[in-house]
Amino acid sequence: MAAEPETKEPRAVEATPAKKPAGGLRLGVRNFLRVMRANPLTMVGFVLVLIITLTAVALVVVPPIAGAILGHPVMLTPFDPNAPDTSSCPVINNVTICAQPPSAQHWFGTDNLGRDMLSRILAALPLDLFIAFSVAGVALLLGGSLGLIAGFWDKPGTIGGVVSLVIMRLTDIFLAFPSLVLALAIAASLGRGTGPSILAVMLTWWPFYVRLTRGEVIAVKHQPYVMAARAAGVGEWRILFRHIFRNILEPLVVYFTLDVGTVIIIFSTISFIGIGVPVDVPEWGNMVEGYEKLLLTAPWTVLAAGGAIFVTVLAFSLLGDGLRDILDPRSRRALTQAAATTSVTAASSSPEA
Amino acid sequence: MAEPVLKVQNLSVDYVVGAGTFHALKDVSFEMGPGRVVGIVGETGCGKSTLGHAIPRILAEPPARIRSGKVLLRGMDLLTLSKWKLPLVRGTGIGMIFQEPINSLNPAFRIYDQLVETVRIRKLREIGKVPGLAPGLEPFDYSKRAMPKTSEMIIKPPIVPALPEKAQGRKAIPDKEEYRKEVLEYLRLVRINDPETILDLYPHELSGGMRQRIMIASALSGKPSLLIADEPTSALDITIQAQVLTLMKELMEEVRTSILFISHDLGVIAEMADDVGVMYAGHLVEFGPVEDVYEHPRHPYTKALLRANPNQYKEDGPLPSLTGSVPNLSRLPQGCAFHPRCILARDVCRADPGPLLEPAKGATAAAHLAACHFSDEVEALP
Repeated sequence: MAAEPETKEPRAVEATPAKKPAGGLRLGVRNFLRVMRANPLTMVGFVLVLIITLTAVALVVVPPIAGAILGHPVMLTPFDPNAPDTSSCPVINNVTICAQPPSAQHWFGTDNLGRDMLSRILAALPLDLFIAFSVAGVALLLGGSLGLIAGFWDKPGTIGGVVSLVIMRLTDIFLAFPSLVLALAIAASLGRGTGPSILAVMLTWWPFYVRLTRGEVIAVKHQPYVMAARAAGVGEWRILFRHIFRNILEPLVVYFTLDVGTVIIIFSTISFIGIGVPVDVPEWGNMVEGYEKLLLTAPWTVLAAGGAIFVTVLAFSLLGDGLRDILDPRSRRALTQAAATTSVTAASSSPEA
Repeated sequence: MAEPVLKVQNLSVDYVVGAGTFHALKDVSFEMGPGRVVGIVGETGCGKSTLGHAIPRILAEPPARIRSGKVLLRGMDLLTLSKWKLPLVRGTGIGMIFQEPINSLNPAFRIYDQLVETVRIRKLREIGKVPGLAPGLEPFDYSKRAMPKTSEMIIKPPIVPALPEKAQGRKAIPDKEEYRKEVLEYLRLVRINDPETILDLYPHELSGGMRQRIMIASALSGKPSLLIADEPTSALDITIQAQVLTLMKELMEEVRTSILFISHDLGVIAEMADDVGVMYAGHLVEFGPVEDVYEHPRHPYTKALLRANPNQYKEDGPLPSLTGSVPNLSRLPQGCAFHPRCILARDVCRADPGPLLEPAKGATAAAHLAACHFSDEVEALP
């Protein structure tokens, strides 16, 4: 019933989005695209994140499937990222120089063993994204839920108050250590390897989310609209997970996207120090460490690895910045309406011109 | 009078903070009949809002502490009700309109989502899908029907949720369309033009007056037996105030719910209320029908309050005012709280707190109550 006028007169609905009933996936997507158009930098961030994520997924999913169908190993990277290739190395003054500068064949050049840098960067992409999302995601879920509990049930003298106190003091203990040092200590004690080092970063990452969430919950729960919801007969859980959660979502999501970049950097640092992933596994921080000694002779190797970190972090930061505007109803409406009026005026004025 | 919707007995509330204990409410007792509009008037800090928040128990406890008393809503004591059951009473039992319409709507939700919350809660309680106090009956005038017994009030939650609806004689869970229709109906009830457009807007896109209308619609949509309006117009500017008051006055005719109307404005109370309670320093000092209280006040504070109304003062010269100031609620004077400022005060007032609300001597109907030793002498005061 409600969707009928929309299908009949899509243009009228577009001009006055308020006429449509609340919600609606199509409206959401349209508004999203409008905000994107109004915010070019968010657009850049969004497209970059999309490309990075899709590439990572493709790198993981396509080779085994295609390999099974075609009957021979398939690689999406232009060269084998781990096979040293010294055959084509030029010999100058009896010294084999394998690190080649960028060329048409090797876009990002090769490293000292003759391995294609582009292939290595691409091969590292799924692992780095997985690390970033798993660490930030676990931190968001764990820290976020602890923060919700600690913030909402913090009345002194009750069970909730005691739980809240315990959570916050535990958080303080974790935050008292610099997170990198703590992660290094945990990683060192767990032993070298990809899994342990991810776990180490995870263990140090959640306290930030507890603090953030708790602060936001406390700020929101004293708002008159929470009391109004309570007076309307809404239960406490629903107040927390609907009325309060929706209002703290914005800082959480923004912090999360920005954090994805930070995790990549921290993990790169751990790998750089030599505790993270094994040397032979392509990982960006690992590569920066490995190629550090080539900085003067073959700078493209370090630049390619560092550049990959830079672009990924930048993409998520730009997206995070834009998400703030999209999630806040005030700026979202302003943005969608600004975009809508410009597009409508453009559409109506173009036939005359 | 029919059995009261709300009966407050000896309600005392303290605020325990670092600086001491503040007696915000002291032995407040009054009754509200079905369909009656009771105004509570008093100056800032006299406990009006504390009373309004203590009845549905949405006071922040601590710092507030309910010391003693009873709050009987439709015969059920809300103060002894266990904490988890309180939300089951709110919304359908007691609805509230707050002082600040600006902040009382959740900024993250569209108007539809705000309003559907109460409608959903009521509908689900009506069909017995979730436990809760059944709403006041259509058109909220439950005085026409027999009072449900206290034991029936909290409907037991069905343990097996999905039984054939017909077999149980229940209505099916309402669908989106039904909710939408109902929400629109309430928006029209509060005289909002073009409610369809309003549904999709966010609170910040509406004016203060509009938001207060939405709040009123939201409170009414729970079909509460008792509506508490805590200074609903104080935060609005004067023209919007008049509009909202007119609207509420009209709604009182259409929706015959009981209303507890809290205000510091004697004129507004005179306009809106059937009964009025005058509060001073946490005490309810006078309670009775509006005309009686305004024409023949029986407490010196009420008298002084009415005398200070600039509209009634015609001669030149300073407006009569009350000497002294409101006592500190943590150190109330001995005896009657009003005696340091009272021209009738005698030795007995300094020693004895005076009667709790009592009718005039020789009065047959116990309608007009006052808490003063010398209530009979008030009439003769200048």
